[in-house]
Amino acid sequence: MIRGLFYLLIFPGLAFQVVCGFAFEWIDRKLLARFQRRIGPPWYQPLADLIKLFSKEDLLPLGAYDFVDLMLPLISLSAVLTAGLYIPIARFTPFSFEGDLIVIQFLMSVPTLAYYLAGIASVGIYSILGGGRSLLQYFSYEVPLLITISGPAVMAGSWSVAEISSSQLTMGPFIIFQPLGFILAVVGLIGKLKRDPLDIPSASSEVVGGSLTEFSGAKLGFWHLVMNVQAVVGIFLLVNLYMGWSNLTFPFAAILVFLVECLLMVLILSGASAVFARLRIDQLAGLGWRILVPLALLQLGFVILMGV
Amino acid sequence: MDKISIPIGPHHPLLKEPLSMRIDIAGERVLGGTLRLGYVHRGIEKMATQRTYVQDVHLIERICGICSHVHTTTFCLAVEKLLGIEVPPRGQYIRAMMCELERVHSHLLWLGILAKHVGLETVFMHAWHDRELALDIMEGVSGGRVSHAANQIGGVRFDLSPEQVAMIKENVEKLKAQVSGVLDVIENEPALRARTQGVAPVSADLIRDYCVVGPVARASGIDVDLRRDDPWPPYDQLDVNVITRPEGDAWARTLIRALETRESLRLCEILLSQMPVGPVTVRAPRKVPEGEVVTRSEAPRGEVLYYLRSDGSDKPARLKVRTPTLAVLSLLPEQLSKIHVADIPVVLAGIDLCIACADR
Repeated sequence: MIRGLFYLLIFPGLAFQVVCGFAFEWIDRKLLARFQRRIGPPWYQPLADLIKLFSKEDLLPLGAYDFVDLMLPLISLSAVLTAGLYIPIARFTPFSFEGDLIVIQFLMSVPTLAYYLAGIASVGIYSILGGGRSLLQYFSYEVPLLITISGPAVMAGSWSVAEISSSQLTMGPFIIFQPLGFILAVVGLIGKLKRDPLDIPSASSEVVGGSLTEFSGAKLGFWHLVMNVQAVVGIFLLVNLYMGWSNLTFPFAAILVFLVECLLMVLILSGASAVFARLRIDQLAGLGWRILVPLALLQLGFVILMGV
Repeated sequence: MDKISIPIGPHHPLLKEPLSMRIDIAGERVLGGTLRLGYVHRGIEKMATQRTYVQDVHLIERICGICSHVHTTTFCLAVEKLLGIEVPPRGQYIRAMMCELERVHSHLLWLGILAKHVGLETVFMHAWHDRELALDIMEGVSGGRVSHAANQIGGVRFDLSPEQVAMIKENVEKLKAQVSGVLDVIENEPALRARTQGVAPVSADLIRDYCVVGPVARASGIDVDLRRDDPWPPYDQLDVNVITRPEGDAWARTLIRALETRESLRLCEILLSQMPVGPVTVRAPRKVPEGEVVTRSEAPRGEVLYYLRSDGSDKPARLKVRTPTLAVLSLLPEQLSKIHVADIPVVLAGIDLCIACADR
């Protein structure tokens, strides 16, 4: 009982994920700032931002569904935190079971749907536009992402992330066999996180703040937390699926390697947001269905042929 | 899909200055838009008739926060024409050099804004960082980053010391290296091209119908530049390359402004190397003889026209300012159709709005 609560609330649950979320946001902002010849924020900035948002007045326009708008970020937060529980962190997996990869994918989609609903439930004109865009974006990246991440599962012969991760100990990291799949998965992850360059639903020069335009105070704070934890969970997932070196037998080395791999992922995400311009939604749909899906199928077919 | 109308402005992350548009959209397609102006109207033309010519120079400096120098230059040229006095050559050269530096910093500022609107924040940060070099020069020689107070009727208010000339040369050299990097990004960055190429192209006929001037006209293939077509000294001694592109889309406007930045830096170097010695200003009488006069200059955004009528007193009887932005704004509703919602920032940024100039 106590052990279960510890897993849920401390490690690898709530506290650990949230701290990682803050760390991710800070490293990301710092890296981006250095790419842009700026200095960047101090390490406590994400926490300070959150505290400030929580102490701000919470306003919503007349006619918005107050309760719904509070519940949407909370449901999203619990969904991504739950997803985080099933992902091994440097070999440590308290809740792993066969098929958890599919559960993680489902839970990771909850924030996107909640984001769309938040746009509708906060009745702003830009919110509705942003919400619609987030669904369009979802249909563009989700299919190639799902096809892509079934590559490692097929290769390992298991739908459990822990199994996939540990099978790389004997077979070698899957990034070597599926470099294309890794790139596609990163693109899908960027789309899922609505990060620059795929921040189409929240592009400030087009739709002000997207679905979250009308949000303020604690509700907005929760949304920021959701985005950060989602990024952390996504990074952990990709590291486990494609970079299995973290399963070294020596435990301290495993933690170190896992950390380095995660930082590498943050570097990739920050670099992408520094280098690329934002796509138009029709360009993204074209990219998703005309380029990413065929490439993902190609990668999957290659994996299946290799297994035969 | 249902038609909805979204407000852009007077307050919107897209706009740096207040302007109000209502844009009709259906899904992600833009159907059309209407425009409302006048949020920063300050009545400067009327105020100018209530102040003396000497005070007016400082008032007119405040028409625009980006191209302030070209406004005062054109005004001083008008007054000097009425007075019949000639600015000493060194004063003319310093004026022209400030005009070119202003073009450099205006174009770099604009490039950053365009990059930010298409989600390329890195280019925004780098362009504005480079722009500081131009601002450093202007602050170093005049004391002001934005409002330089460089002009007075009869010349300029400061002379350049040899150390300042060395500093300018050094910064211009740095700027040239940075601008060639920026040009490389504009020509080769695929995502930037995907977002700007073919967006809301404007034909040369439409440009002529709306009397559009400056880089927007040149991007549609109209070969017009007052520095060559109607030069005031020292531009008549310079060989200004006028850059045109036939496409008329947002990408052509981007490229033209980057190339013009390079051209301005070249002109700066020529002006510095050929700068004559001597006084920078002559004394001008307070009262201006009766008469009317029109002067024109090539501002960063195109032709600036000043009409000045004097009744023989020390205050103008009428001052009329025509800025390039107003003509371009009239073209905006034409461009806001058959585009995507995501193209609105590109179209708006592409015409390089200066609302403060347009409203005055």
